[in-house]
Amino acid sequence: MEPLIRVENLVIRHTRQAFGGRASAFTAVDSVSFSISPGATLALVGESGSGKSSLARCLACLQPATSGGIWFEGRDLAALPEEKLRAVRPRLQLIFQDPAASLNPRWTVLRIVAEPLLIEGRSPALEREARAAQLLARVGITAEYLQSQPGELSGGQRQRVAIARALILQPALLILDEVLSALDCSVQAQIANLLVELQRAANLTYLFITHDLRMAAHLAGEIAVMSAGKIVEQGPAGKILRDPRSSQAQSLVQAAAPEAELVEAGSEP
Amino acid sequence: MRRFLLRRVAHAAFLLLGVSLLAFFFSALAPGNYLDDLRLNPQMSSERFSALRAQYRVDQPVALRYFSWANALLHGDLGFSFAYNAPVAPLLWPRARNTLLLTTTATLLVWAIALPLGAWSAQHLGKPTDVALTWATSAFLIVPDLALALGLLVLAVRSGWLPTGGMVSVAFDEFSFAHKIRDLASHMVLPVIVLVASALPVLLRHVRAAVAEALDAPFLRAAEGQGIPRRRLLYRYALPAAAHPLIALFGFSLGTLLSGSLLVEVVMSWPGLGPFLLEAILARDVYVVIGGVLFSTLFLVAGNLAADLLLYWADPRIRTEAEAR
Amino acid sequence: MIRSRLPLCIAFLGTLHAVVACAGFFAPYDPVAQDREHPYAPPMRPHFVDAQGAWHLRPFVYPQALRTASFDQYQLDTTTPIPIRFFVRGVPYRVLGLLSSRAHLFGAGGSPLYLLGTDAYGRDIFSRILFGGQVSLLAGLLGAALTLSLGLSIGALAGFTGGWKDEVLMRAAELYLALPWIYLLFAMRAFLPLSVPPLKAFLLVVLVIAAVGWARPARLVRGIVLSVKERDFVRAARGFGASGPYLLRRHILPETSGVVLTQAAILVPQFVLAEMTLSFLGLGVPEPLPSWGNMLSCLQHYNVLVSYWWMYLPAVAMIPFFLGYLTLANLLQRSTGTAKIEEACGGV
Repeated sequence: MEPLIRVENLVIRHTRQAFGGRASAFTAVDSVSFSISPGATLALVGESGSGKSSLARCLACLQPATSGGIWFEGRDLAALPEEKLRAVRPRLQLIFQDPAASLNPRWTVLRIVAEPLLIEGRSPALEREARAAQLLARVGITAEYLQSQPGELSGGQRQRVAIARALILQPALLILDEVLSALDCSVQAQIANLLVELQRAANLTYLFITHDLRMAAHLAGEIAVMSAGKIVEQGPAGKILRDPRSSQAQSLVQAAAPEAELVEAGSEP
Repeated sequence: MRRFLLRRVAHAAFLLLGVSLLAFFFSALAPGNYLDDLRLNPQMSSERFSALRAQYRVDQPVALRYFSWANALLHGDLGFSFAYNAPVAPLLWPRARNTLLLTTTATLLVWAIALPLGAWSAQHLGKPTDVALTWATSAFLIVPDLALALGLLVLAVRSGWLPTGGMVSVAFDEFSFAHKIRDLASHMVLPVIVLVASALPVLLRHVRAAVAEALDAPFLRAAEGQGIPRRRLLYRYALPAAAHPLIALFGFSLGTLLSGSLLVEVVMSWPGLGPFLLEAILARDVYVVIGGVLFSTLFLVAGNLAADLLLYWADPRIRTEAEAR
Repeated sequence: MIRSRLPLCIAFLGTLHAVVACAGFFAPYDPVAQDREHPYAPPMRPHFVDAQGAWHLRPFVYPQALRTASFDQYQLDTTTPIPIRFFVRGVPYRVLGLLSSRAHLFGAGGSPLYLLGTDAYGRDIFSRILFGGQVSLLAGLLGAALTLSLGLSIGALAGFTGGWKDEVLMRAAELYLALPWIYLLFAMRAFLPLSVPPLKAFLLVVLVIAAVGWARPARLVRGIVLSVKERDFVRAARGFGASGPYLLRRHILPETSGVVLTQAAILVPQFVLAEMTLSFLGLGVPEPLPSWGNMLSCLQHYNVLVSYWWMYLPAVAMIPFFLGYLTLANLLQRSTGTAKIEEACGGV
């Protein structure tokens, strides 16, 4: 099957211009290639600073690529001009790590979720709000919270709102950038289950970015391990968990294992 | 060190260049030509007039005029005062000196008051004494310089305690040296009071905030826990830690005082840049106006440069940062 | 505490401004009406007790007349008290230039009633302070509105687009901040025409004031725009395909409202003072239109300063306004948390 998104030799280099000083460059993402089939989930696992978030922002067209190509639904996003990008953007959505920051604190939940429709500018206000309320109900936000501001919600509820907002334009691809890491353990599981449920219902494709190998294995069929801007190992989730080849993957497995045992030990009696 | 210094000097030069450009082009944009006004002046001979026309190249494009003017400026020639029929620079120097005397005295005085008072206030944060001080300085804040200057002048005139205008008494030249100093000082009292009162409240508030923040820093709390005496804590630890925001304020205080000085000089007939500039504006004496503005910028830029040096000397962070580059 | 004091402060300022806006009602006289029989008349004190020691419910004043062979010495005539009447008909005026009326809060029929004395032309200082307040405050308010819109647009442009535009605009702002502001005010004024009719002069003053002050608000706004631009909720909106103007209008500019409001509370009194300074020095609004500044300019004459203390009153009139605005600025700064931002952008 033709992949939904195909990334080829993507390079992202940041240049920092200090005031009056020389420009210094460092490579955040270094010739990364992968592809995801429609309806599948690829987990991108790596430690902080490995270039995951740069990659996420670049795929969401919020940051330009230095070189390489991003083929999405047959078009190269890296080469598309800004006006044309705007038409593609609804098809792929990024959900951020910290919902407290990604929701405008001055707005109500309903307005936040309806915002993409407002920007799209096709539907009248009433219809926008009805659809937003409907979607919010589906992610588990009840009507009593519609007029609340993000500050009045819990972390899990906020992330649900962010998910609803990302879904309202009916995207094909969701880029989930550490969406669980700001949440408590029990809430993590709830949101993870919600994501799985939504994926099944709408045939969504996920790029799940995390530092948590266990969670990655739980959600994704395939895992790519990223380190220092490069993908060092890629394969089926079970295989990487059982038999990591690269030292980076091994250390990630080790980091995930004791915690998992603790959780299991704690839940047993 | 050299690098840091060079950068600051380059920045200062940029500011001066920019202000000179700004001032010159504003004057060039001004409706009417000042030389046209001059033609109506019966004291101006037609030779003199055409000489001036040639000197200021009125018929040339603005950019060329700017370059010839800037070139002269670099050689210390600030242009020609039409009202005084004399070069501007020698007219400007003594007045600038008088303004500088007033401003520098006020600056030193206001810092000499604000530093200990602000530090003391920060130590007693929220206590009645601190609150009373805050209220008292707020009173100065709501009485604008103009009202204060006029009010003090009325008081001085009514009481007769202090001279009420000018810089020196009429018979100044005949006084002995000590008497001269005393005379000058007594003339300075009123304007300096107004200037200090106008700059003190804001400065005090910042000193208080900066010292309070420094006192609240974890390393100072730790030092306090080790039993270092309060006074030593304040002067040896907190004040140096608060130096950075305070020194950055120095330029600001200088600017406030220069601005305030302009008005105070006019009200108290202090023979500084203020009255001179006002007179020049009313006479449309363009080069005097530009010269005065450039002078004020020069003061301020020099003051900021001095503050930068002080900062470099006082704050090791800047030093290492500058050396790392 | 702040929440309860903010409405109080706004109500206080609102009342002051309403009084000045309705100057025609509160002032018994036209601000330019002259009374050559009463130059430099001292303030008339309202009394409740007459010369015989009897109490009156209605306050009254004693008429004063010039002593013979004097031009500023007055004699009090305690035999014929003039009662102060309230809600009387008097000279016609317009409220805010629209509503015309003849109703005045108080008056004394046809007899002169100078609560705060008169100036060299026998014009009522009380009325002139009220009408002068209109000129001075309007200059301050208009100047602040102009300078803030200028600062807001420049700051938003610089912060949002970045690149060379940002560089150029912020360097220009630095230039403006490098000059002591009264010098800048003078320089700007110097190159504009001097003797112009009052209305044009007023507009010139407003323009000059506005042109001087844009740099600081622009820098503050730019700082906020720069930081908000990188917040995730703005990124998210961009991810939905939002355009630049949309982002600015819906997400970024609302975040600057705190700083803009605080700056307004700081700038209005500063600009009122700028108008006063210019007019005081004869570079601003000319006679006969009263402004607090040009009313004070007669104090530059030594004899006026010494002999007629009531000429100093316009300087006192602005103190409650300053008090109100400074308190407002303080409260806004604390309730919107803009103090830190302003410090970070280097200045006051």
